[in-house]
Amino acid sequence: MRRTPGWVFGTGSEPDPRFSLANERTFLAWIRTAVALFAAGVALEALGQPIEPRLRTAVSALFVALGLLTSVQAWLGWARTERALRRGSPLPGPTLSVVVAAGVAVGAVLTAIGLWA
Amino acid sequence: MSRDRGGLALERTLLAWRRTALGLAVLSAAAVRFAAPQVGWPAVFLGVAGLGLAVAAYALTDVRRRRLHRDPRRPTTGRAEAALAGAAVLLGLVALGYVLSG
Repeated sequence: MRRTPGWVFGTGSEPDPRFSLANERTFLAWIRTAVALFAAGVALEALGQPIEPRLRTAVSALFVALGLLTSVQAWLGWARTERALRRGSPLPGPTLSVVVAAGVAVGAVLTAIGLWA
Repeated sequence: MSRDRGGLALERTLLAWRRTALGLAVLSAAAVRFAAPQVGWPAVFLGVAGLGLAVAAYALTDVRRRRLHRDPRRPTTGRAEAALAGAAVLLGLVALGYVLSG
């Protein structure tokens, strides 16, 4: 069966399968993180009452948007890492993960402010 | 790769696939149920598509297990990864629709 994407499996050679499996589990952990972010955004919008409505919507949308970013990064990170494993080259760095972490921190602070104010 | 250590890693990976795909499928179904009244038909389309992808990814885990036992050196074709990432994005779009329409 042909493997996809081509720019990953078309280069290099089969790595130690334990590394590929670890890469898969990392991808899955990021996907679960994205889903948790969706849940946080939806829960805040559906349940969080004592917050100014526009701020609440903004923070909820921020969490969901971060989840979408995380979903994309989950796949990109998996693909780039798999390619690096095949080539024996250095593994890619965090990139988007840092943005997501910062965004979550911002959202948490805004929520706290909104609840307190 | 010794068979014992490799086998445990395969088991762990398959279980991770199952719980992730299952969680996504359940949440996609719930998203369609709860977002549809507020967001309308787009939520139903996106949610059902996401549910389909998540279920497909879960079904692929059985295929994956059979292939792995035959040839452990090639754990993935990349299709399940694409399916699950797609399912997550679709679920996120439904969630976004819900949040913005509230």
